[in-house]
Amino acid sequence: MSDTPPNTSIDPTLPLRAKAGDRQAFAQLVDLMYPRALRFALHMVGNREDAEEAVQDTFVRVYHNLGRFRDDARFEPWLFRILANRCRTALGKRNRHTQLIQYGELPDRVGAQSDPERDWTEEVYKVLETLPAEQKEAFLLRHVEDMAYEDIAAVTGVGLSALRMRVKRACDVLRVRLTEMMQDE
Amino acid sequence: MSDSMQDPVISRVRETLRSESATRPDPVAVARTLQTVWAAPRPVWWRRALDAWRMPALSGLATSAVAAAALLVGFVTRGAVQTRDALDPVAAAGPATEEFPVQFASYEGEETARIATQFVFEHATAQSVSVVGDFNAWEADALPLTRLPNGLWTVTVPLPPGRHVYAYVIDGTLVVADPRAPKAGDADYGREGSVVMVFAR
Repeated sequence: MSDTPPNTSIDPTLPLRAKAGDRQAFAQLVDLMYPRALRFALHMVGNREDAEEAVQDTFVRVYHNLGRFRDDARFEPWLFRILANRCRTALGKRNRHTQLIQYGELPDRVGAQSDPERDWTEEVYKVLETLPAEQKEAFLLRHVEDMAYEDIAAVTGVGLSALRMRVKRACDVLRVRLTEMMQDE
Repeated sequence: MSDSMQDPVISRVRETLRSESATRPDPVAVARTLQTVWAAPRPVWWRRALDAWRMPALSGLATSAVAAAALLVGFVTRGAVQTRDALDPVAAAGPATEEFPVQFASYEGEETARIATQFVFEHATAQSVSVVGDFNAWEADALPLTRLPNGLWTVTVPLPPGRHVYAYVIDGTLVVADPRAPKAGDADYGREGSVVMVFAR
Protein backbone atom coordinates (compact mmCIF):
# COMPACT_ATOMS: atom_id res chain seq x y z
CA MET A 1 0.00 0.00 0.00
CA SER A 2 1.59 3.22 -1.05
CA ASP A 3 0.53 5.31 1.92
CA THR A 4 1.90 2.94 4.51
CA PRO A 5 4.56 4.72 6.57
CA PRO A 6 7.77 2.76 6.95
CA ASN A 7 8.71 1.53 10.41
CA THR A 8 12.23 2.90 10.18
CA SER A 9 14.55 3.06 13.12
CA ILE A 10 15.57 6.46 14.36
CA ASP A 11 19.06 7.85 14.39
CA PRO A 12 20.46 6.57 17.71
CA THR A 13 22.28 9.85 18.33
CA LEU A 14 19.04 11.82 18.49
CA PRO A 15 17.98 10.67 22.00
CA LEU A 16 21.49 11.26 23.25
CA ARG A 17 21.55 14.78 21.87
CA ALA A 18 18.11 15.42 23.34
CA LYS A 19 19.34 14.07 26.67
CA ALA A 20 22.24 16.51 26.48
CA GLY A 21 19.75 19.36 26.23
CA ASP A 22 19.48 19.78 22.46
CA ARG A 23 15.87 20.89 22.00
CA GLN A 24 16.08 20.64 18.24
CA ALA A 25 17.01 16.98 18.59
CA PHE A 26 14.03 16.35 20.86
CA ALA A 27 11.75 18.15 18.40
CA GLN A 28 13.09 15.87 15.68
CA LEU A 29 12.35 12.84 17.85
CA VAL A 30 8.76 14.02 18.22
CA ASP A 31 8.52 14.67 14.51
CA LEU A 32 9.82 11.20 13.67
CA MET A 33 8.02 9.15 16.30
CA TYR A 34 4.69 10.96 16.53
CA PRO A 35 3.07 9.15 13.56
CA ARG A 36 3.93 5.68 14.88
CA ALA A 37 3.01 6.62 18.43
CA LEU A 38 -0.34 7.99 17.31
CA ARG A 39 -1.04 4.93 15.17
CA PHE A 40 -0.42 2.60 18.10
CA ALA A 41 -2.42 4.74 20.52
CA LEU A 42 -5.30 5.13 18.09
CA HIS A 43 -5.59 1.39 17.62
CA MET A 44 -5.28 0.80 21.35
CA VAL A 45 -7.77 3.33 22.68
CA GLY A 46 -10.03 3.64 19.63
CA ASN A 47 -10.55 7.39 19.36
CA ARG A 48 -8.35 10.24 18.27
CA GLU A 49 -8.90 12.55 21.24
CA ASP A 50 -7.74 10.01 23.82
CA ALA A 51 -4.96 8.80 21.53
CA GLU A 52 -3.54 12.30 21.01
CA GLU A 53 -3.70 12.93 24.75
CA ALA A 54 -1.86 9.67 25.47
CA VAL A 55 0.81 10.52 22.91
CA GLN A 56 1.21 14.02 24.28
CA ASP A 57 1.53 12.71 27.86
CA THR A 58 4.09 10.22 26.63
CA PHE A 59 6.35 12.84 25.08
CA VAL A 60 6.10 15.04 28.18
CA ARG A 61 7.19 12.11 30.35
CA VAL A 62 9.91 11.14 27.92
CA TYR A 63 11.26 14.69 27.99
CA HIS A 64 11.28 14.87 31.77
CA ASN A 65 12.94 11.48 32.11
CA LEU A 66 15.57 11.78 29.39
CA GLY A 67 18.19 12.13 32.10
CA ARG A 68 17.50 8.55 33.12
CA PHE A 69 17.71 7.20 29.59
CA ARG A 70 20.82 5.03 29.36
CA ASP A 71 23.26 5.90 26.62
CA ASP A 72 23.40 2.31 25.40
CA ALA A 73 19.62 1.84 25.45
CA ARG A 74 17.32 1.86 22.44
CA PHE A 75 14.83 4.67 22.33
CA GLU A 76 11.85 3.10 20.57
CA PRO A 77 11.10 0.34 23.12
CA TRP A 78 11.54 2.88 25.90
CA LEU A 79 9.07 5.27 24.30
CA PHE A 80 6.57 2.51 23.55
CA ARG A 81 6.78 1.28 27.13
CA ILE A 82 5.70 4.70 28.35
CA LEU A 83 3.10 4.98 25.60
CA ALA A 84 1.64 1.57 26.37
CA ASN A 85 1.25 2.62 30.00
CA ARG A 86 -0.54 5.82 28.96
CA CYS A 87 -2.84 3.83 26.67
CA ARG A 88 -3.71 1.42 29.46
CA THR A 89 -4.58 4.38 31.65
CA ALA A 90 -6.70 5.89 28.87
CA LEU A 91 -8.45 2.58 28.26
CA GLY A 92 -9.40 2.43 31.90
CA LYS A 93 -11.11 5.80 31.69
CA ARG A 94 -12.91 5.83 28.42
CA ASN A 95 -16.03 4.16 27.09
CA ARG A 96 -17.00 6.47 24.23
CA HIS A 97 -15.61 4.30 21.46
CA THR A 98 -17.29 1.23 22.87
CA GLN A 99 -20.60 3.02 22.57
CA LEU A 100 -19.88 3.91 18.97
CA ILE A 101 -19.15 0.31 18.13
CA GLN A 102 -22.20 -0.94 19.96
CA TYR A 103 -24.41 1.34 17.93
CA GLY A 104 -22.76 0.29 14.71
CA GLU A 105 -21.28 3.63 13.78
CA LEU A 106 -18.02 3.89 11.94
CA PRO A 107 -15.11 5.25 13.98
CA ASP A 108 -13.85 8.55 12.63
CA ARG A 109 -10.48 7.04 11.84
CA VAL A 110 -11.95 5.30 8.79
CA GLY A 111 -11.52 7.52 5.76
CA ALA A 112 -13.47 7.70 2.53
CA GLN A 113 -12.96 4.47 0.64
CA SER A 114 -14.81 2.24 -1.75
CA ASP A 115 -17.48 0.17 -0.06
CA PRO A 116 -15.75 -3.26 0.05
CA GLU A 117 -12.58 -1.68 1.40
CA ARG A 118 -14.58 0.39 3.86
CA ASP A 119 -16.50 -2.68 5.03
CA TRP A 120 -13.27 -4.59 5.46
CA THR A 121 -11.64 -1.79 7.41
CA GLU A 122 -14.67 -1.40 9.65
CA GLU A 123 -14.74 -5.12 10.33
CA VAL A 124 -11.03 -5.16 11.17
CA TYR A 125 -11.56 -2.40 13.71
CA LYS A 126 -14.58 -4.16 15.17
CA VAL A 127 -12.72 -7.42 15.61
CA LEU A 128 -9.74 -5.56 17.05
CA GLU A 129 -12.05 -3.99 19.63
CA THR A 130 -13.20 -7.41 20.77
CA LEU A 131 -9.68 -8.54 21.61
CA PRO A 132 -8.57 -8.39 25.24
CA ALA A 133 -6.33 -5.36 25.70
CA GLU A 134 -3.22 -7.42 26.40
CA GLN A 135 -3.72 -9.45 23.22
CA LYS A 136 -4.41 -6.36 21.14
CA GLU A 137 -1.32 -4.65 22.55
CA ALA A 138 0.93 -7.62 21.77
CA PHE A 139 -0.56 -8.04 18.29
CA LEU A 140 -0.12 -4.36 17.39
CA LEU A 141 3.46 -4.23 18.63
CA ARG A 142 4.38 -7.42 16.78
CA HIS A 143 2.47 -7.18 13.52
CA VAL A 144 1.86 -3.45 13.02
CA GLU A 145 4.94 -1.94 14.66
CA ASP A 146 7.18 -4.85 13.60
CA MET A 147 8.83 -5.15 17.00
CA ALA A 148 10.91 -8.15 17.96
CA TYR A 149 9.50 -10.25 20.78
CA GLU A 150 12.45 -9.26 22.95
CA ASP A 151 11.51 -5.59 22.52
CA ILE A 152 7.83 -6.31 23.18
CA ALA A 153 8.88 -8.08 26.37
CA ALA A 154 10.73 -4.92 27.39
CA VAL A 155 7.70 -2.78 26.55
CA THR A 156 5.14 -4.91 28.33
CA GLY A 157 7.19 -6.58 31.05
CA VAL A 158 5.74 -9.93 30.00
CA GLY A 159 7.74 -13.09 29.25
CA LEU A 160 8.41 -14.25 25.69
CA SER A 161 6.32 -17.40 25.78
CA ALA A 162 3.32 -15.55 27.18
CA LEU A 163 3.71 -12.86 24.53
CA ARG A 164 3.84 -15.41 21.73
CA MET A 165 0.67 -16.97 23.09
CA ARG A 166 -1.08 -13.58 23.20
CA VAL A 167 -0.12 -12.82 19.62
CA LYS A 168 -1.20 -16.28 18.47
CA ARG A 169 -4.57 -15.96 20.13
CA ALA A 170 -5.13 -12.54 18.61
CA CYS A 171 -4.21 -13.89 15.17
CA ASP A 172 -6.55 -16.84 15.63
CA VAL A 173 -9.48 -14.55 16.42
CA LEU A 174 -8.74 -12.24 13.50
CA ARG A 175 -8.35 -15.18 11.15
CA VAL A 176 -11.59 -16.82 12.19
CA ARG A 177 -13.60 -13.59 12.03
CA LEU A 178 -12.13 -12.20 8.82
CA THR A 179 -11.30 -15.14 6.56
CA GLU A 180 -14.84 -15.55 5.34
CA MET A 181 -15.22 -11.87 4.59
CA MET A 182 -11.97 -11.86 2.67
CA GLN A 183 -13.07 -14.85 0.60
CA ASP A 184 -16.43 -13.24 -0.21
CA GLU A 185 -14.81 -10.18 -1.80
CA MET B 1 9.93 -9.01 7.65
CA SER B 2 7.09 -9.82 10.00
CA ASP B 3 5.88 -13.42 10.13
CA SER B 4 2.40 -12.02 9.41
CA MET B 5 3.39 -11.78 5.75
CA GLN B 6 2.95 -15.53 5.45
CA ASP B 7 -0.71 -15.41 6.42
CA PRO B 8 -2.91 -13.59 3.87
CA VAL B 9 -5.55 -12.56 6.41
CA ILE B 10 -3.10 -11.26 8.99
CA SER B 11 -1.05 -9.66 6.24
CA ARG B 12 -4.07 -7.72 5.03
CA VAL B 13 -5.06 -6.77 8.58
CA ARG B 14 -1.56 -5.47 9.06
CA GLU B 15 -1.76 -3.36 5.90
CA THR B 16 -5.14 -1.98 6.97
CA LEU B 17 -3.90 -1.03 10.42
CA ARG B 18 -0.73 0.53 9.03
CA SER B 19 -2.60 2.65 6.50
CA GLU B 20 -1.58 6.24 7.00
CA SER B 21 -4.89 7.50 5.63
CA ALA B 22 -6.58 6.27 8.81
CA THR B 23 -3.98 7.40 11.32
CA ARG B 24 -2.40 10.50 9.78
CA PRO B 25 -1.28 12.90 12.51
CA ASP B 26 -2.85 16.31 12.76
CA PRO B 27 -0.01 18.86 12.38
CA VAL B 28 -1.70 21.08 14.95
CA ALA B 29 -1.68 18.22 17.48
CA VAL B 30 2.02 17.65 16.86
CA ALA B 31 2.76 21.34 17.38
CA ARG B 32 0.57 21.36 20.50
CA THR B 33 2.50 18.39 21.87
CA LEU B 34 5.80 20.23 21.54
CA GLN B 35 4.34 23.34 23.11
CA THR B 36 3.06 21.27 26.02
CA VAL B 37 6.43 19.60 26.45
CA TRP B 38 8.24 22.93 26.63
CA ALA B 39 5.64 24.43 28.94
CA ALA B 40 5.07 21.48 31.27
CA PRO B 41 6.61 21.98 34.73
CA ARG B 42 9.16 19.43 35.77
CA PRO B 43 7.45 16.89 38.05
CA VAL B 44 8.23 16.82 41.74
CA TRP B 45 10.93 14.46 42.98
CA TRP B 46 8.61 11.69 44.10
CA ARG B 47 6.86 11.72 40.74
CA ARG B 48 10.17 11.45 38.91
CA ALA B 49 11.19 8.60 41.19
CA LEU B 50 7.94 6.80 40.45
CA ASP B 51 8.37 7.30 36.72
CA ALA B 52 11.93 6.05 36.93
CA TRP B 53 10.74 2.94 38.67
CA ARG B 54 8.11 2.34 36.00
CA MET B 55 10.33 3.21 33.05
CA PRO B 56 13.75 1.62 33.45
CA ALA B 57 16.12 2.35 30.60
CA LEU B 58 16.32 -0.59 28.27
CA SER B 59 19.46 -2.31 27.23
CA GLY B 60 20.48 -2.20 23.60
CA LEU B 61 23.30 -1.66 21.18
CA ALA B 62 25.49 1.42 21.36
CA THR B 63 25.96 2.70 17.87
CA SER B 64 29.26 2.75 16.05
CA ALA B 65 28.00 5.38 13.60
CA VAL B 66 27.38 8.17 16.09
CA ALA B 67 29.80 10.63 14.58
CA ALA B 68 28.65 10.09 10.99
CA ALA B 69 24.98 10.23 11.91
CA ALA B 70 25.47 13.38 13.96
CA LEU B 71 27.09 15.01 10.95
CA LEU B 72 24.20 13.92 8.79
CA VAL B 73 21.60 15.24 11.22
CA GLY B 74 23.46 18.52 11.46
CA PHE B 75 23.50 18.76 7.68
CA VAL B 76 19.82 17.98 7.31
CA THR B 77 18.63 20.30 10.06
CA ARG B 78 20.53 23.33 9.00
CA GLY B 79 18.27 25.68 7.13
CA ALA B 80 17.36 29.13 6.09
CA VAL B 81 14.72 29.40 8.77
CA GLN B 82 16.05 30.69 12.04
CA THR B 83 14.75 32.40 15.08
CA ARG B 84 15.78 35.99 15.32
CA ASP B 85 18.45 35.25 17.89
CA ALA B 86 20.26 33.04 15.44
CA LEU B 87 20.29 35.46 12.52
CA ASP B 88 23.13 37.32 11.05
CA PRO B 89 23.98 39.97 13.67
CA VAL B 90 23.31 42.75 11.21
CA ALA B 91 19.85 41.47 10.49
CA ALA B 92 18.99 40.50 14.05
CA ALA B 93 20.29 43.62 15.75
CA GLY B 94 17.25 45.74 14.98
CA PRO B 95 17.68 48.59 12.52
CA ALA B 96 17.17 47.40 9.02
CA THR B 97 20.10 47.57 6.70
CA GLU B 98 20.06 47.83 2.97
CA GLU B 99 21.82 44.48 2.66
CA PHE B 100 19.60 42.43 4.90
CA PRO B 101 16.69 44.27 6.47
CA VAL B 102 14.35 42.57 8.87
CA GLN B 103 10.83 42.83 7.50
CA PHE B 104 8.27 42.22 10.21
CA ALA B 105 4.90 41.00 9.05
CA SER B 106 1.75 41.85 10.92
CA TYR B 107 0.08 38.77 12.26
CA GLU B 108 -3.32 38.47 13.81
CA GLY B 109 -3.96 35.55 16.07
CA GLU B 110 -4.39 34.62 19.66
CA GLU B 111 -2.09 36.48 22.00
CA THR B 112 0.59 34.12 23.20
CA ALA B 113 4.29 34.63 23.56
CA ARG B 114 5.57 34.71 20.01
CA ILE B 115 9.08 34.42 18.71
CA ALA B 116 10.25 36.46 15.74
CA THR B 117 11.08 33.88 13.07
CA GLN B 118 12.70 34.87 9.83
CA PHE B 119 11.99 33.15 6.55
CA VAL B 120 14.54 33.58 3.79
CA PHE B 121 14.07 32.26 0.28
CA GLU B 122 16.24 32.61 -2.78
CA HIS B 123 14.62 33.06 -6.18
CA ALA B 124 16.12 35.35 -8.77
CA THR B 125 13.23 35.59 -11.24
CA ALA B 126 10.09 35.47 -9.11
CA GLN B 127 7.76 38.44 -9.23
CA SER B 128 6.29 37.64 -5.83
CA VAL B 129 6.94 35.17 -3.02
CA SER B 130 4.81 34.52 0.02
CA VAL B 131 5.01 32.07 2.87
CA VAL B 132 2.08 29.84 3.72
CA GLY B 133 1.72 27.45 6.61
CA ASP B 134 -0.34 26.18 9.47
CA PHE B 135 0.19 29.55 11.16
CA ASN B 136 -1.75 31.50 8.50
CA ALA B 137 -4.24 28.86 7.34
CA TRP B 138 -2.21 28.43 4.15
CA GLU B 139 -3.43 31.76 2.82
CA ALA B 140 -1.27 32.63 -0.16
CA ASP B 141 -1.70 36.39 0.22
CA ALA B 142 -1.30 36.67 3.99
CA LEU B 143 2.49 36.88 4.36
CA PRO B 144 4.33 38.27 1.33
CA LEU B 145 8.12 38.31 1.39
CA THR B 146 10.14 41.40 0.53
CA ARG B 147 12.70 41.21 -2.22
CA LEU B 148 16.21 42.32 -1.33
CA PRO B 149 18.80 43.69 -3.76
CA ASN B 150 20.86 40.54 -3.37
CA GLY B 151 18.11 38.32 -4.80
CA LEU B 152 16.86 36.99 -1.50
CA TRP B 153 13.27 37.24 -0.33
CA THR B 154 12.59 37.63 3.37
CA VAL B 155 9.92 38.17 5.97
CA THR B 156 9.96 37.86 9.74
CA VAL B 157 6.86 36.46 11.37
CA PRO B 158 6.06 36.28 15.08
CA LEU B 159 5.18 32.62 15.67
CA PRO B 160 4.10 30.74 18.78
CA PRO B 161 6.62 28.18 20.02
CA GLY B 162 6.21 24.73 18.55
CA ARG B 163 6.45 22.91 15.28
CA HIS B 164 5.16 24.59 12.15
CA VAL B 165 4.76 23.28 8.63
CA TYR B 166 5.17 25.79 5.82
CA ALA B 167 5.93 26.30 2.14
CA TYR B 168 6.59 29.16 -0.25
CA VAL B 169 4.24 30.33 -3.01
CA ILE B 170 6.01 31.72 -6.07
CA ASP B 171 4.09 34.15 -8.27
CA GLY B 172 0.85 33.20 -6.59
CA THR B 173 0.66 29.73 -8.07
CA LEU B 174 3.70 27.51 -7.55
CA VAL B 175 3.95 25.98 -4.08
CA VAL B 176 7.42 24.74 -3.13
CA ALA B 177 9.04 23.49 0.04
CA ASP B 178 12.05 25.25 1.51
CA PRO B 179 15.06 23.53 -0.09
CA ARG B 180 17.20 24.24 2.97
CA ALA B 181 14.85 23.02 5.70
CA PRO B 182 13.70 19.56 6.84
CA LYS B 183 10.81 18.15 4.84
CA ALA B 184 7.48 17.65 6.56
CA GLY B 185 6.23 14.10 6.56
CA ASP B 186 2.66 15.25 7.06
CA ALA B 187 2.27 18.01 4.51
CA ASP B 188 -1.24 19.37 4.40
CA TYR B 189 -3.47 18.30 1.56
CA GLY B 190 -0.66 16.31 -0.02
CA ARG B 191 1.43 19.41 -0.72
CA GLU B 192 5.11 19.35 -0.11
CA GLY B 193 6.09 21.30 2.98
CA SER B 194 8.96 22.07 5.31
CA VAL B 195 9.26 22.13 9.09
CA VAL B 196 10.43 24.92 11.35
CA MET B 197 10.79 24.48 15.09
CA VAL B 198 10.22 27.62 17.14
CA PHE B 199 11.52 27.51 20.69
CA ALA B 200 10.38 29.65 23.57
CA ARG B 201 13.07 31.78 25.14
